[in-house]
Amino acid sequence: MNTIQLERVEKQFGAFRALNGLSLRVQQGELYGLIGPNGAGKSTAIKIMVGLQRATGGTAKVLGYGPQDPQVRGLLGYMPQETALYPDLTVTENLDLFGRLYGIEKEERQRRIAELLGLVNLSDWAATVVTNLSGGMQHRTSLAVALLARPKLLILDEPTVGVDPELRASFWAHFDRLRQEGTTILITTHYMDEALRCERVGLINHGQLVAEGTPAELMKQVKVQTLEEAFLAFAGRNKANTEVSA
Amino acid sequence: MTLRRTLAIARKQFLTLRHDKRTLALMLVAPVMAMLIFGFAFGSSAKHVPVVVVNEDRGATAGKIVDALDHDVLAIATSSDLAGAKAAVDRGDKVAVLYFAPGFTADASPQTHLQMVPGKAPAVQVLPPKGAHAQLYVDTTNQELAGVVMAQLPAAAGKLAAAAGQKSPINFDNQYAFTRAKNATTTDSLVPGIIAFAITVFTTLLTLLAFVGERTSGTLDRLRVTPATEAEIVLGYELAFGVIAAVQGGLLLTVALLVYHVLIVGPLAVAALVVVLTAIDAQAIGIVVSAAARRESQAVQFIPFIIFPTFLLSGIFVALSSLPDWLRPFSYLLPPTWAIQALRDVLLRGWGLDHVWPQILVLLGFAIIFTTGAIVGLKRSRA
Repeated sequence: MNTIQLERVEKQFGAFRALNGLSLRVQQGELYGLIGPNGAGKSTAIKIMVGLQRATGGTAKVLGYGPQDPQVRGLLGYMPQETALYPDLTVTENLDLFGRLYGIEKEERQRRIAELLGLVNLSDWAATVVTNLSGGMQHRTSLAVALLARPKLLILDEPTVGVDPELRASFWAHFDRLRQEGTTILITTHYMDEALRCERVGLINHGQLVAEGTPAELMKQVKVQTLEEAFLAFAGRNKANTEVSA
Repeated sequence: MTLRRTLAIARKQFLTLRHDKRTLALMLVAPVMAMLIFGFAFGSSAKHVPVVVVNEDRGATAGKIVDALDHDVLAIATSSDLAGAKAAVDRGDKVAVLYFAPGFTADASPQTHLQMVPGKAPAVQVLPPKGAHAQLYVDTTNQELAGVVMAQLPAAAGKLAAAAGQKSPINFDNQYAFTRAKNATTTDSLVPGIIAFAITVFTTLLTLLAFVGERTSGTLDRLRVTPATEAEIVLGYELAFGVIAAVQGGLLLTVALLVYHVLIVGPLAVAALVVVLTAIDAQAIGIVVSAAARRESQAVQFIPFIIFPTFLLSGIFVALSSLPDWLRPFSYLLPPTWAIQALRDVLLRGWGLDHVWPQILVLLGFAIIFTTGAIVGLKRSRA
C-alpha cells in the first residue's frame, strides 16, 4: 500500500511552475529520501503532502486521503525546515500545546512528553524557554513535536540542517528505530551520507522526479561510485534535457 | 471544531505573556500611559495665558473689569506703554494686549445733559451711554489661547453687570437631560474615546505582530498540520485577546477613576461587553492585515493606517457631525466609532443594554465579518 501517492502533480505560482508533473510513491513503512538542488521543488512537494498548499494539477493522496482532508492531520508528523517553535514558551509548554491540539489526554500527554524529552536528550532543559536554547536543542525540540502524536507518516524537511554530527547520528538512529516500528518516513536532505541511509531515494529537479531507486541502483544507472556523483550526473542530465527541450 | 483546541490556543497566548514580560508591560502599561497623556493634554483647559493690560481709563470701570477677569486663566501684567505691550505680542511673549482708553468709564456711563429752556427751570436729561470700547490686540496664531482670552472679556463684563444689580432682558435657564452628567468635564467625555482607542490600537498591533511572527517562524504552518482548524486558531486568539482587553478596559477605568475622578454612571458589565467586542474586532482586523505583511518590519508600516483613522475619525476629539459629509461614512466603517458612542452612552448617560443594543449589534456584526474574513484568509493561504 502506498502511504504517499503523487500522480503528475503540478503547482503554479503566477508565471512560475514549481512542480511540473511530479509523480512519486512512498510505501508503508518505507524510509524515503527526497533529494535535489535548491529550488528543485522539494519543499513545495512537502507542503502539498502535508496539506499546507493545494496542487494546481494532478492528484495527491496521503494515507489514503486527500492531503487537506482533516482525517490526515492526526496521523501525520511534520518537521519543517525552520524550528517552528514558540520562542517564549518552555520546551515542555511547546510540546504540551501541540499535545493538546492533537487531542492527547493529560496523563498520556505528560508520559509522552517525558518519553520524548528523554529521547531527544532534553530532560534537563524541559523548563527552559526555547529562545534560550542552542540551535541544536531547538532542532531536537522540533523533532519531539513532530513525533508527539505517534504519527503513521513522518515528513521531515531538511531536519538536520545546522545540526552537529553527533546530533545527526542520534536523529538517524531514531529514524531507523521508527522505521522498524512501522512508521513511514519521507525526508528531504542535502547530505548524501543521509540519502545513503534511505531505502529509496527520489531525485527531484525542475519540479519533476528525474531518478528514483535504491542508492545502489541510482549509482549503477549512471555508473558512478558515490551517490554524490550520481546526484550531479542526474541533475546535469536533466539540465541538458531541459535546455534541449527549451 | 472543539472547545479544547480553542482553549489550548488561548492558553498559549497567556503562557507566552507570562514569559514575555515586555509584551505584557506593553499591553498593560501603554494603554494606561495613553490614557494619562491624553487625559492631561486634552482634558485640561488653558491656564495662565499671558496678557498685558494697558489701562488709561480716568474712571473706575476698566479697573473693575480687569478685577473681574479670571486671574487663574489669564496671567495679567500691567503696563502704561501700549506700543511696548503690542511689541511683546508681536514677539510672541504675550498673547494679547487689552487697552482701555482714557474715556472708557465716561463712554460706558449714562450721559447727563442739563437742558436750559428760557422761561423754564433747568432740566436734567439722562441720555444712554455713548458706548465704551476696549481694544484687544491679539495673536490668533494659537487659536486655543486666543479663544480663551476673547471669551474672558464678555464674561467679565457680564460679572460686572451682575454685581451692579443690572439684569439682562433675556435669560436662559438650563435644564439637564442627564442630571448625573450635568457637571461632566472634557475629561469625562474623552475617557470612553481613549479606552476604545487604546484597546483598538494595541490589540490590532499586538495581533498583527503576533500573527506575522506565526507566519514567518513557521509555527502557523505547524499549527495547521495538527487537527486544529483555522476557526479554532482564530477563535483561540479572540478568546485570549478578549480577556486581555477586558483587563485593559478595567485597568483604564480604574486609572480614570483614581486620577481624573471620571463620571461612571451606567452598568460596568455593558461597558465590559463593548470593550471585549472592540478587542475582538481589533484582533480579527490584525489577523486579516497580517496576511499582507511578509516580515514584522512590514507589519510596522501598517501602524499609521490603524492609528490615524481611529484617532481622527471615530469621534474621540472631533464630533462625527463636524466631519465633512463625504468623510463621515468612513467613520461608520470603523468599529471604534460605535464603541465610543456605546461607552459614552453607558458611562455618562447611564444607559443599559436596552438603549445601546444597536451599537453592540453593529460591533457584533463587525466581529462576525472580520472573524470570518480572518478564517477565510487563513484557509485561502492553503491554496
